[in-house]
Amino acid sequence: MMNRARITHSVRVLVATLVGVLLAAPLFYMALNSLMPDSQTADLTPQLIPNSVHFSNYTAALSGTTQVIYSRSFLNSVIFTFFVVLLQWMLCISGGLAISKMRFRSRTFITVLLGVSLFIPILTTLIPTFIDTLKLGLINTYPGVILPIVAQTGFGTLLFRQYISQMPEELFDAARIDGANWWTMLRRLVVPLAKPATGAYVAISVLTAWNMYLWPLVAASSPHLELLTQTLATLGETTFGDTHPQNIVYAAIVIVTLPMIVVFLCVQPAFIRGLTGSGVE
Amino acid sequence: MSEPSTANLGPSLTPPRRRNSRRDGRAAILMAGPNLAMFAIFIIVPIVGGLYLSFTTWDINNGAPKWVGLANYTKMFSDPIVGVAVGNTVKFMLFGVVPTVLIGLGLAMLINVRFRFVGAVRSLYLIPAAMSFAASAVVWRYIFLDGPGYGVVNWVLSQVGIVPPNWFVSTTYALPALDVIAIWLSLPLATILYLAALQRIPASVIEAATLDGAGPIRRVVYIIWPMVRPFTVLVAIVSILSFTTGSFDLVNILTPTGGTNYATTTLIFYIYQQSFTYGLWGYGAALSVLQIALISGVLGVLRVFYLVGRRA
Repeated sequence: MMNRARITHSVRVLVATLVGVLLAAPLFYMALNSLMPDSQTADLTPQLIPNSVHFSNYTAALSGTTQVIYSRSFLNSVIFTFFVVLLQWMLCISGGLAISKMRFRSRTFITVLLGVSLFIPILTTLIPTFIDTLKLGLINTYPGVILPIVAQTGFGTLLFRQYISQMPEELFDAARIDGANWWTMLRRLVVPLAKPATGAYVAISVLTAWNMYLWPLVAASSPHLELLTQTLATLGETTFGDTHPQNIVYAAIVIVTLPMIVVFLCVQPAFIRGLTGSGVE
Repeated sequence: MSEPSTANLGPSLTPPRRRNSRRDGRAAILMAGPNLAMFAIFIIVPIVGGLYLSFTTWDINNGAPKWVGLANYTKMFSDPIVGVAVGNTVKFMLFGVVPTVLIGLGLAMLINVRFRFVGAVRSLYLIPAAMSFAASAVVWRYIFLDGPGYGVVNWVLSQVGIVPPNWFVSTTYALPALDVIAIWLSLPLATILYLAALQRIPASVIEAATLDGAGPIRRVVYIIWPMVRPFTVLVAIVSILSFTTGSFDLVNILTPTGGTNYATTTLIFYIYQQSFTYGLWGYGAALSVLQIALISGVLGVLRVFYLVGRRA
């Protein structure tokens, strides 16, 4: 009986591993192709193992006549992601403190409003948001790409609200007796104690911002504001993808994706915590 | 990956018990003010303004919006492409979200097992979540590539004697191909959420059922499914948001004209095209109202289901 259970277990582990490899296969395929010589990716039969390893594809994707990734786009993506996450975090943690621990009229109304906004992703309000940003004179500026995304505070604010509301009231009472005002409590009490929530929030927001396509596409159409997702989108277009060497295109995707895979593997627990959120419990 | 913005559905809205009559009105305005101001400027104003614009025609480069009453809405209902776009969106969502939920549960059950390298194996399941729709569009375009020089999919098909389609040009296969990519990208989130749900089922419950002679199927039907059911709504909400993103990103990158005979023209893509390509901003705003009603309506109904399910 024992033996049979062990065999079942082994089979299950084997199947789980094989399915995992299959699901991640496109990523392995991409990595392997990015190392192949030009002649091999151009071959009429799809190939799996590089005949010889060409890290030079990466330099070719970053410079020279075959260049597809420009440092300007890379920098723009970093700036966009950094400011979206930082500014939105500041809004969300302070807003979360306000609607969890502070007493004021319309608090419930604001909480409900933020909850409703979760179901109105910026995609559905693209046209009016674009016109709004245009009328503020912000289209084709950094603030114009960044601020409307920063304003999507529903998820983050409710995440911090949930986390902060579980902090014992006594902590805040004690701080108040010590003469702390709300601003001091935010800096000295809430920010340090909410580190796990911040971790979860940052993990999810960094990925979302780095991978965002539609809003930057319309709000930052001028070349000097181009983000990496737009660069990649160009690679996906028929004319470009067919004329450009595949191995270099693959290398370009690896360059753009690898930072997020590394981030993701490092913050995976935080990511999962944020996603399953305490909201589920 | 799209915003998993609804994951945190928050606790119930009961205020904490009141200890004294302290009011923090002024401090609260300062504390929540920046958040609410940004929210008002970039979310409330566009929604209200968009509603107004939907009753106008407007060339944004030229003069003020002109009031046309319900003209955009009557146009919308007589525009055959709107029906096609709504149909495509519903198909894309339905044939994408349902498999994502079911396969997600299956995968979660598969990796809800302890062994030495389980962490590494789980990572394989979750890594695609780090990829953008844009990046995966490029990779999958090569995987689905039609000759000369087939991609993997068409090469395999041709080896087994099937004449492979030109996926993204086909009127039949383009939308399903986009769904495959979106499912692949959305599965990690579904799997993560279900795995978290499964890990809350005490092992003893399943062991007891197994000892009582319940086979794998009965364990799924009578124990696992009822216990993860509340999560299914959450998985569905997160997946719908992901597919909403995909319904623009993938369409615009892989089928930039909206497909042969509008085969992949989704509502969001049609709105984008009408406004940014043809300059019909008022019409785009009216279509946006339809889109918000459809997507937010579905999500709102699911949210109610979630709350009711949790209380039950």
